[in-house]
Amino acid sequence: MKGASPSAGKTTRAERALARFHEEEELERVYDLRLTGRLLPYIRPHRRLLVGSLVLLVVMSALSLVRPLIMRAALTQFQAPGGAERILRFGFALAGAIVLEQAIAFPQMVWMQTAGARAMADLRLAVFRFLHTRSLGFFDTRPIGRLVTRVTNDVDSISEMFGSGALNAVGDLVRLVAIVAIMLSLDAKMSLFAFVLVPPIALFVQVTRGRMRTAYRQVRSKTARMNAFLNEQVSGIAVVQAYARERRSQDEFDAINADYRTANMRAIVIEAAVDAAIEMIGSVCIASILWYAGARARSVGIGVPTIEFGTLFAFVAYIDMFFGPIRDLSARYTLVQSALSGAERIFQLLDSKEGDEPALAGASEEPGPDWPAGEEVAFELERVTFEYKPGVPVLHEVSIAARRGETIALVGPTGSGKSTIASLLLRLYAATEGEVRVFGRPVNALDRTRLRRQFAVVPQDVFLFPGSIASNVAGGAPDVDRGRVLEVLRSIGALELFEAREGGLDAAVAERGSNFSAGERQLIALARALYRDPNILVLDEPTATIDSDTERRLQAAMDAASKGRTALVIAHRLSTIRNASRIVVLPRGRVVETGSHDELIARDGVYARLYRLQDARRELERKVEAKLEELLGAEG
Amino acid sequence: MSRSHAGWIERAAEPLLRLPDGPAPLGLGKQLRRNGRLYVLGAVMLAFQQVLLARRDFLVKSAVDAISLARAEDAASGAVWILVVSVSSMVARLLSRMTVFGAGRNVEYELRSALLAHLHRLGPAFYRSNATGDIMSRATNDLQQVRLLLGFGLLNVVGSVLAIMSALYVMLELSWRLTLASLSTIPILFLVARSFSTQMFARTRKNQQALGAMSDRVLASLAGVRVVRSFAMEDQEIAAFDVQNRTYLEKSLGLARLRGSMGPVMGAVSAAGVLVVFWYGGVLLARGDIGTGDFVAFWLALLRITWPLMAVGFVAAIVQRGRAGYARIQSIFETAPDITSGGATAPARFRGELRVAGLTFRHGDRTILDDVRFEVKAGSSIAIVGRTGSGKSTLASLLPRLLPAPRGTVFLDGSDVCDFPVESVRARIGYAQQDAFLFSTTVAENIGYALDSAPDDDAILVAAAEEACVREDVARLPDGFDTVVGERGVQLSGGQKQRVALARALVREPDVLVLDDPLSAVDARTEAAILAAIERQAARRTVVLVTHRIAAARRCDQILVLDRGRVIERGTHDELMALGGVYALLAEAQRMDDDLAAMELAS
Repeated sequence: MKGASPSAGKTTRAERALARFHEEEELERVYDLRLTGRLLPYIRPHRRLLVGSLVLLVVMSALSLVRPLIMRAALTQFQAPGGAERILRFGFALAGAIVLEQAIAFPQMVWMQTAGARAMADLRLAVFRFLHTRSLGFFDTRPIGRLVTRVTNDVDSISEMFGSGALNAVGDLVRLVAIVAIMLSLDAKMSLFAFVLVPPIALFVQVTRGRMRTAYRQVRSKTARMNAFLNEQVSGIAVVQAYARERRSQDEFDAINADYRTANMRAIVIEAAVDAAIEMIGSVCIASILWYAGARARSVGIGVPTIEFGTLFAFVAYIDMFFGPIRDLSARYTLVQSALSGAERIFQLLDSKEGDEPALAGASEEPGPDWPAGEEVAFELERVTFEYKPGVPVLHEVSIAARRGETIALVGPTGSGKSTIASLLLRLYAATEGEVRVFGRPVNALDRTRLRRQFAVVPQDVFLFPGSIASNVAGGAPDVDRGRVLEVLRSIGALELFEAREGGLDAAVAERGSNFSAGERQLIALARALYRDPNILVLDEPTATIDSDTERRLQAAMDAASKGRTALVIAHRLSTIRNASRIVVLPRGRVVETGSHDELIARDGVYARLYRLQDARRELERKVEAKLEELLGAEG
Repeated sequence: MSRSHAGWIERAAEPLLRLPDGPAPLGLGKQLRRNGRLYVLGAVMLAFQQVLLARRDFLVKSAVDAISLARAEDAASGAVWILVVSVSSMVARLLSRMTVFGAGRNVEYELRSALLAHLHRLGPAFYRSNATGDIMSRATNDLQQVRLLLGFGLLNVVGSVLAIMSALYVMLELSWRLTLASLSTIPILFLVARSFSTQMFARTRKNQQALGAMSDRVLASLAGVRVVRSFAMEDQEIAAFDVQNRTYLEKSLGLARLRGSMGPVMGAVSAAGVLVVFWYGGVLLARGDIGTGDFVAFWLALLRITWPLMAVGFVAAIVQRGRAGYARIQSIFETAPDITSGGATAPARFRGELRVAGLTFRHGDRTILDDVRFEVKAGSSIAIVGRTGSGKSTLASLLPRLLPAPRGTVFLDGSDVCDFPVESVRARIGYAQQDAFLFSTTVAENIGYALDSAPDDDAILVAAAEEACVREDVARLPDGFDTVVGERGVQLSGGQKQRVALARALVREPDVLVLDDPLSAVDARTEAAILAAIERQAARRTVVLVTHRIAAARRCDQILVLDRGRVIERGTHDELMALGGVYALLAEAQRMDDDLAAMELAS
């Protein structure tokens, strides 16, 4: 078998596997500008702002180019008599140009950022909405953390593109072209002289760009590697310490740390070199036009000014303006790339076909407004078979029916498909074969909201949302009916318990409800279910250990809640379902026995055996407790 | 191809940028001095660069004058000089960045290395009260702020101050009157920049917080997706999210407006400066106090002063953040490790005689272990049995000093374990934790974790895998022993993870083997095989087995029953069964549980 012995081709295969794991290949990709096309639908509603911003950008670029011209005119005026007063006029013109340019810069920047931020808010909502139209199967195969990153961080990286002014590259391009045009019009020969250096620069930038990209990619990959290592050291510190591997881990880390440092130093050197080179080139251009100007002066003769001083000055200023954008181009490119990588991940998510809610059979079968009044049978499964994965049946030809007001209990070991039945009733998953009906209608023919409003589920593992006890009982509805909350809590005997807490019913609920005990969470979940006042109550008994006080309270509450309602109870402790109308025993997804508790005990089958064993087990537990009390004394 | 080019720069710069020798000091000032050589060199380069730039301005001035007087040769030589000066300036600039940024990276490297070293020494108490995310944030974000302070920030400050000085020098040389006039607006520029940067910092931080809150909300919404679907709460959730979304949007726009207003305000101040210079400059020109070349050079110098002034203003935020970042890192350095090494040299091997006397362990005001006593002869085995919360895991962690055991409580071969270096004790007392944690590397490297170097012959690893009954499972994996198990071993099932962790523990050949509940995730059949393996281990060394499974405990030479931190029963399996106490009851309960499980599966 491949790799059965670890030494077979060890280093290369292991290294490749590790590299794959650390996603080093992914960082090599260059993203397609076609992705920007997919962003258009989100930008379109805000296009006016964006277009306005781009127009202003062009105007701004034009204005910035005006400044050297003003200087040039001013300096030319020097020679003429009475220049001093007129100088001031040019001063005003220049100051005015600066102020105007900046005054336009404000709306330009703000409009662009607003358009970007609004478009991204729309995209974010769209992704969130998309996630909440997926079926549960979709979430079974994806880590939640990654989905959250799509909604928040990835969208944010796209909006950085708008916010950082990367799109100003458009203005820069306009400016570059305009500068060339103006310089040519002022003095063609000198311009050509100044720009003799542009082709080599372009070549130089092109060559270094590839090298810079490699350097940055290295930095990103080393950063990820280093952080992953550190993270593992912290999460697995118990193992590191237990095996006394601190020294070796430190050495390994130092190597990675050093790699990271080297990668960064390389990037620093390349970046600094390019930066300095571009800056120097500005000076070289200035030097060359000065030399040219001198040469021309000589050829004409002494005392005859051949170049206007103002023109010379303007040239110097334009050259300075020319190379700034070229330097910025690289940083802007990186930003656009990272924005596009975020975009690609998001659109990949939005493109996923699988996971749509199970389809509706047809709108024509939709029941009338007073449904489900008059229907006697609350829910029914008819020869239902269900497979999570093809070939692995969880339920096999299960038929169960419940009339209104009956309590049906499902009994069987974990994984026997009991919870699946509840999921099928709510159409969270679709049955492979057979039909599921709720109040006489096949679940496929009902609008899912309308269907689910018939139910309220108290699950095995209770999830509480951030908020307060009251808001959770009200099921996250924006307007909480306080009186109703109190009534519901009282009816299950939990009111004093929660009011006694610090903060009472408005006590904050920590992440996932971790500041409440398992039993308390169950009580809140039950209250939440009752607040809805559903026609069918689904109780999935918790398997986690709950202290006996809360367990008793919970039991009484559940009994009270099931009275007068149709209830489906998924039982683990048989003692709790003695009063059920009908008990369905289905180990491994097949129904083997049905009947009331007394009927099944009399039958002396699976249920009877199970019940007796559980009873004996409980008795034993009591004995253990008693013994411990005896040995340790009554301590808390 | 690209390697060789960058390579020669590195090789050339290596002696310059090498990390300083000796242990890394902690403290911003100390690190600054430690890399003093680089910083001084960088400052010198910056100064040199500024001198050159000043020279360039003068050269431009004289070249321009030469042209207007049609002195071609002077203009030509001036141009050549400008070129020479520019090239030199470029080299100086390059070197200044390399040295100062290099120093910043050195500081980052050393602090990060020291951070891990310190984290290695901290005990579970620290990790319980500090979330992983928070620790990571200090090692990444906060450290980055420190690096920016001692790298980019320093470069900016020194460079800007020098640039301002050099430009001022030029300006004063040309016309002290005009300089005074322009000074009217310059301080305002500086103050405005500083005010903006502090506001930006505060606003950005609020932005980050809003993003974090939104992220948490999305996480809660998706984690509770089952509830959302079952209760048909989708519309509500979407509406609630939209509220957060809009809030974040507003905050972002607020930040954008602040960023945007910076330009106009600065622009207005500059414009005022321009007016002043032009007006007064014009006056001086008309009076003949300065020439056109002077004016041009002055103008160039003034342009050169604007950006450094703003940069100095921005630096305030960088300093603030750098110091705050360092303070957070320092708080980790200042946490004293609660498990300290003793000075005595540990022998190469112990016989494995373990004695625990009067061990009481408290956490806060809770007593977890109360006066626990027992003795295990070398080479024999002991099982520690108890229900959840009885303190058995704590006891297991105390033996190899993973938790701070008090002096005079745990003795190995008659010596107090607190006398020896911590690493020696842990090397000789092997411990496998309850919640098996695997590293995101290959199966082979995980199993061989305890080994000092990768073994030439992998027989050891394969043998350990065989003992832990996981060899076949590994062979079935896509790359066999070279399969990467993913973060925390996510590619393996719970049972497989536990068995790989067991194999890892078996590789080391310790003198005392402490196993904390190694059977929780395995089925009955595998359990029997593993128990046989543990028995084989017990023949070669002392074994302490923490378990709640009576089937495992019965094979050990003696059994200790713990509840609520107290030893309530002790003896061999037969003795305890005959006693008819808690142990006997637990045994019966487990037998019933096994019957129940078998029944459910069979029917």
